[in-house]
Amino acid sequence: MSTPAIEVTDFTMRFGARTAVDHLSFDVRPGETFGLLGANGSGKTTTIRALLGIYTPTAGTLHVEGRPFDPAHNSSLGYLPEERGLYKKEKVIDVMTYFGQLKGMPRAEAALWSTYYLERVGLASHATTRLDKLSGGQQQKVQLGVTIMDNPTILVLDEPTKGFDPVNRRLLLDIVEDQRRGGATVVIITHQMDEVERLCDRVLLLKDGRAEAYGTVPEVQDAYGGRTVRLHHGGPLPTSTRWRPITTERSYAELELDAGVEPRDVLRELVDAGVDVRSFDASRLSMEQVFLKVYGHAAQEEVSA
Amino acid sequence: MNAHNIGTVIAFEVRRTLAKPSFWIATLSVPLLMALLFGLSFFSGASAAQSSLESDAEPVTFTYTDASGIVDPSVAAGLGGTAAADPEAAAAAVREGRSALHIDIPADPVAEGVHVVGEDLGLMESGRWTSVARALLTQSAVARIDEPRLTSVLDGFTVTSELWAGGAPAPGWGAAIAPALFLVLLFMAVVMLGQQMLNITVEEKENRVTEMILTTVHPSTLIIGKVIGVVLVGIVQGLVLLVPLLAMALVPGLTSLVGAPAAEMADAAAAGQAAVDLPRVLMGAALFLASFVLFAGILVAIGAVMPSAKDAGSAFGSVIIAMFLPLYALPLVLQTPESVFSRVLTYFPLTAPVTTLTRNAVGSIELWQAGLVLAVIVLCAVLALSLGVRLFREGSIAYDQRLSWKDIVRATRSKATNPAA
Ligand SMILES: Nc1ncnc2c1ncn2[C@@H]1O[C@H](COP(=O)(O)OP(=O)(O)O)[C@@H](O)[C@H]1O
Ligand SMILES: [Mg+2]
Repeated sequence: MSTPAIEVTDFTMRFGARTAVDHLSFDVRPGETFGLLGANGSGKTTTIRALLGIYTPTAGTLHVEGRPFDPAHNSSLGYLPEERGLYKKEKVIDVMTYFGQLKGMPRAEAALWSTYYLERVGLASHATTRLDKLSGGQQQKVQLGVTIMDNPTILVLDEPTKGFDPVNRRLLLDIVEDQRRGGATVVIITHQMDEVERLCDRVLLLKDGRAEAYGTVPEVQDAYGGRTVRLHHGGPLPTSTRWRPITTERSYAELELDAGVEPRDVLRELVDAGVDVRSFDASRLSMEQVFLKVYGHAAQEEVSA
Repeated sequence: MNAHNIGTVIAFEVRRTLAKPSFWIATLSVPLLMALLFGLSFFSGASAAQSSLESDAEPVTFTYTDASGIVDPSVAAGLGGTAAADPEAAAAAVREGRSALHIDIPADPVAEGVHVVGEDLGLMESGRWTSVARALLTQSAVARIDEPRLTSVLDGFTVTSELWAGGAPAPGWGAAIAPALFLVLLFMAVVMLGQQMLNITVEEKENRVTEMILTTVHPSTLIIGKVIGVVLVGIVQGLVLLVPLLAMALVPGLTSLVGAPAAEMADAAAAGQAAVDLPRVLMGAALFLASFVLFAGILVAIGAVMPSAKDAGSAFGSVIIAMFLPLYALPLVLQTPESVFSRVLTYFPLTAPVTTLTRNAVGSIELWQAGLVLAVIVLCAVLALSLGVRLFREGSIAYDQRLSWKDIVRATRSKATNPAA
């Protein structure tokens, strides 16, 4: 197999007495979309920062394309940090062009690309606006543009959809999808489990700095439960000895099936019980359920905090 | 790639600074203020000259009583004085406003002192009464001795000197001017560019742009590029400051004001006194350059450690004070250049620039010693700059926190363990 795009071996990071990441190993293959998941504070950002040379690791090796990251050699890496920020007092187009040049693009080409990108994300009229006059979401779009402007072979996105409305989230994911289709390796940190199911080939779940689960999405789903059924329905659900409801909302439910139970048995039982089944989807445990199972109450507290 | 990026960084920094109206307002306000001040002093100088002419024309009238018998009545009359019979009555006349001045000369003026009672002319002008009293006595004494060549010595005379060192005329004060200019230049550079040097790292942190930038360009490329950018901007500012000086040299009325010191220098040069001492000038230039890099490195490091411009500002103040504190101790240093105190100031990296630049200018340090100091400053400058770069790498992610001493120590050691550095 070819060299992994990213290879982390036995990485440990301590801040004083606190161990943020503990003996972590994983790799990301060229061309895949890799999800780095975990509750807040589980060490995702720390891992990325150590990978990109911003933190010096306490122990272990972290390689990008076979060697420690160095901006002079791995010029084709786009990183969208969790802490967003650009030169606030400068004009949008100037900042974008500057970063394009630093990434090795000729000035004119960088300016042209920026103009095109701003048009695509609906900021064409703001090209000569100072960055600090833009809204937070608009600034994030500019920053995503800076991240992808030289069509990097590796894209590292730390919570890219944080703070976006659904329309812009869609727009942003489309842009990332374009990059992926163009052959980029994408590492994405996100708390949106539907995004994970849609985008990611493989995932790594971090819990308190350790790898909790690692593999393809179906593998991880299987590891955390049997088969499930998701359905939209009218009327009350009957209770049964053959499944357990794990989510019940007003007209939506997720049922976890006992071993050996087939989804069609469940459907028959529901119809027999007079439930008005509007949609019926036999599938694995959703990533959301996996997440809740892994992080339990701690995660829920973080969300409400 | 790196060389290309340094050019990109410099161009970006210079362009964005020069594109800001606030930069031009700040830069142009200095020459405007200077022009305003020169203009004011020019016109008030002219009117002051006028008023002193007028006061010369206006005769002083006063009364005096002379118990010593020194005063020559004809001299007194020439100055506008009339003898009074009763000192008390004459003084009372002044106190009641009927007379401007009374001078009371006792039997022995030197031992007892002369007493004047005069009308108040304000703090600046009232000294005139004392001068009248002095003139009355000294001119009377001269008149009585009646030998002008003898008495004129009392009025003072000029002494010219020529100094010889090793069989050649010594350059004297004139030679100190060129190397001392570097001290002035250092001071101007620190005052004008200090804040911007500090901002080099603080700005990256305040804008939270460090993570983006550190994964795009090597930190030393970024910081050296930004330092050069600041220097280029400083040169532009310097040129803008020169414009009004040049303008003044061209406007005939103003030439006399500015031109006087320059003319003196030219005279001194013509007299062979302002010989340029080339080794000292070159040493001054080298000391200046190294000191400036040291200063830049220290500010970059401070900026990397401090979370905000405000926090960094106070640390910046202490550095400036430490750098220019030696100015106060200069007389002591120049009188006893070999004392422990002078040596400490000469070699301690923070005080070395100002102390050694001055000693170099006035020739109170051997060239080889100055060379040694230069080596110390260069070494510290390189250390400060590379420490600044490393602190920036380590410290800039702790956006809101000040780096702890432990972090700083870790940063200084990380070179050994980090293969990328
Ligand atoms: N610079 C730092 N100094 C001290 N502790 C840190 C630092 N960066 C991260 N941590 C700690 O490491 C842990 C992991 O943080 P992080 O990687 O940011 O989590 P997340 O998974 O939410 O991105 C947290 O407990 C955080 O407090
Ligand atoms: Mg994070």
